[in-house]
Amino acid sequence: MRSPQTLVGVGTLAIGAMFMIGALTIKSDAGYSGVGPNFLPWVVGIVLLACGAFLVYEARSGGYREMEEPSGAANGHWRGFAWVSVGILANAALITTIGFILSCALCFVLAVRGFKSAEGRLDLGAKAWLIDAAIGAAIAAPVFWMFTQLLAINLPGLTSTGWL
Amino acid sequence: MEILNQLLQGFATAGTPINLLWCLLGCTIGTAVGVLPGMGPATAVAMLLPITLKVDPTASMIFFAGIYYGAMYGGSTTSILLNTPGESGSMVTAMEGNKMAKAGRAGAALATSAIGSFVAGTIATVLVTFFAPLVAKYAIRLGPPEYFMLMVLAFCTVSAVLGKSTLRGLTALFIGLAMGLVGIDQISGQARYTAGVPELLDGLEVVLIAVGLFAVSEALYNVLYEGRTVETENPMSKVHMTKEEWRRSWPAWLRATAIGFPFGTIPAGGSEIPTFLSYATEKKLSKHKEDFGTKGAIEGVAGPEAANNAAITATLIPLLTLGIPTSNTTAILLGAFQNYGIQPGPQLFDKNSGLVWALIASLYIGNVMLLILNLPLIGMWVKLLKIPKSYLYAGILIFATVGVYGMRQSAFDLVLLYAIGLIGVVMRRFDFPTAPVVVGMILGPLAEAQMRNALSIGEGKWGVFIERPGSLSLLIVVVAVLVLPRLTKLVRARRA
Repeated sequence: MRSPQTLVGVGTLAIGAMFMIGALTIKSDAGYSGVGPNFLPWVVGIVLLACGAFLVYEARSGGYREMEEPSGAANGHWRGFAWVSVGILANAALITTIGFILSCALCFVLAVRGFKSAEGRLDLGAKAWLIDAAIGAAIAAPVFWMFTQLLAINLPGLTSTGWL
Repeated sequence: MEILNQLLQGFATAGTPINLLWCLLGCTIGTAVGVLPGMGPATAVAMLLPITLKVDPTASMIFFAGIYYGAMYGGSTTSILLNTPGESGSMVTAMEGNKMAKAGRAGAALATSAIGSFVAGTIATVLVTFFAPLVAKYAIRLGPPEYFMLMVLAFCTVSAVLGKSTLRGLTALFIGLAMGLVGIDQISGQARYTAGVPELLDGLEVVLIAVGLFAVSEALYNVLYEGRTVETENPMSKVHMTKEEWRRSWPAWLRATAIGFPFGTIPAGGSEIPTFLSYATEKKLSKHKEDFGTKGAIEGVAGPEAANNAAITATLIPLLTLGIPTSNTTAILLGAFQNYGIQPGPQLFDKNSGLVWALIASLYIGNVMLLILNLPLIGMWVKLLKIPKSYLYAGILIFATVGVYGMRQSAFDLVLLYAIGLIGVVMRRFDFPTAPVVVGMILGPLAEAQMRNALSIGEGKWGVFIERPGSLSLLIVVVAVLVLPRLTKLVRARRA
């Protein structure tokens, strides 16, 4: 448990450093107020560095203080996580080419595989794929129509009809 | 009299068929997201922010407000029937509600929470009606130094007072402030942290951060760690209260409203404190102390539920009159106003009085709708609890896609969404609060502008914050809020 906590602290330090470096490039034309657009960036960078340092210190000296035990299992179920991740990223990659409905249905199917695998009842049979794809499409399609037809908000389609 | 006239006009606007429909839709969606575990009002409002691109501001604010308080009604259903609370304000309800449900009195618990929510919500709305214009009238006299101090107060309470660890709260707040820095500086017009990417000039999209942090991270966390967590459901019974139960409920509702409302109005965020306070009060005053924690005391459900709703309704006062959000959802509501180029604050009651009064009128209407949705139609919502977790979370991912993609039509945003989801998982695993991130991101740029305006008034001297009596007293409050809890802890530790 200790080393992941240290890692989170180091991550915070890195973000702080990033904002500090960024602050160097912001001009400081302060005007009447005496503080310019680079003031808050410096404050944020410095405070994040300090927070990161304290987090590392806490992690190295007995762990974060007043921690609530995180809910759920002690170890992550990474296989299920991979399914869901692939689902979300596939959606990002395909949404503009195969359209909202198909892409979301695909994301749905993959994510359901992940959750089922986390519950220990992963079913890779063709029938389960088909059923889940149909459910995914049945959720995505009305949402798509509501946005494109009723609200006239652009979502990508496979065709330009606004129906698929 | 003037207030009543304006309220009547508000009813005229909110009462048009189309606005009633938006209100009903909002209340229905709100109840649904309240009932569904894994989704809260903040997520739902964030996902639906793209509608601000097309729908007129009055209708969409009525809609969003419906989601906001509808979720509070729905949340109690889940926390009574399931052994995991739907949203944080319902945690306390779960303690006694679960016991009652296990003893076969789920129906009475659901009834007292729905009616209690209605009573508290309506009283709180009356109070908002009369107090909000007063606060606005007073707030118009506040200058940038006072505003800045109020915002600092909101930052402090949301990050340092509410969470368990000040360090992790502060880290979360400054991550949020850092996110808020991205984009064009409001005062000098200079681009900051945009790395030459034109999309970043407008800043990070609220939808992206909120949906990533709440919805996607919830789904990822669930698949990683909670696959084996089995939820048990309590048996449903007839929704009905006996005379005795009525007699025990109504004083609790009223007391809780009195506790909840003030907490909502001050920038102290969240409904956790008032619900706990109400629970403690009812436990102390109850003539049936033996019921608490055993077969379930109805006061222990009636009080916290009413306190929750009173507090939630009251958060509209700082939001509308000062433009200061005190919770996740109000922060996102502020984002919705900003999408229309409307800045909530004291001028809102002058400049957009039509919208404000229609919104307030819709609260009265919405509470009636919610009472009907949650009492006679309760059976419909209970069925939602039967949705398998895999379908529920996979479905949430589809809605997340709509919200994020619909806002900016960028597939790259979906990759960012995933990245923010991962950050959310880390935050949840290591017990970092998420509310400070969202509040910091949305309120940060406003606070920065107020601070720099204040310093301009003071000609560059920081003394401006202590020379003005208003800002000085607010500064003292900030210091007190930060120091007092620690001091009492220290003193207690010394004595022990």
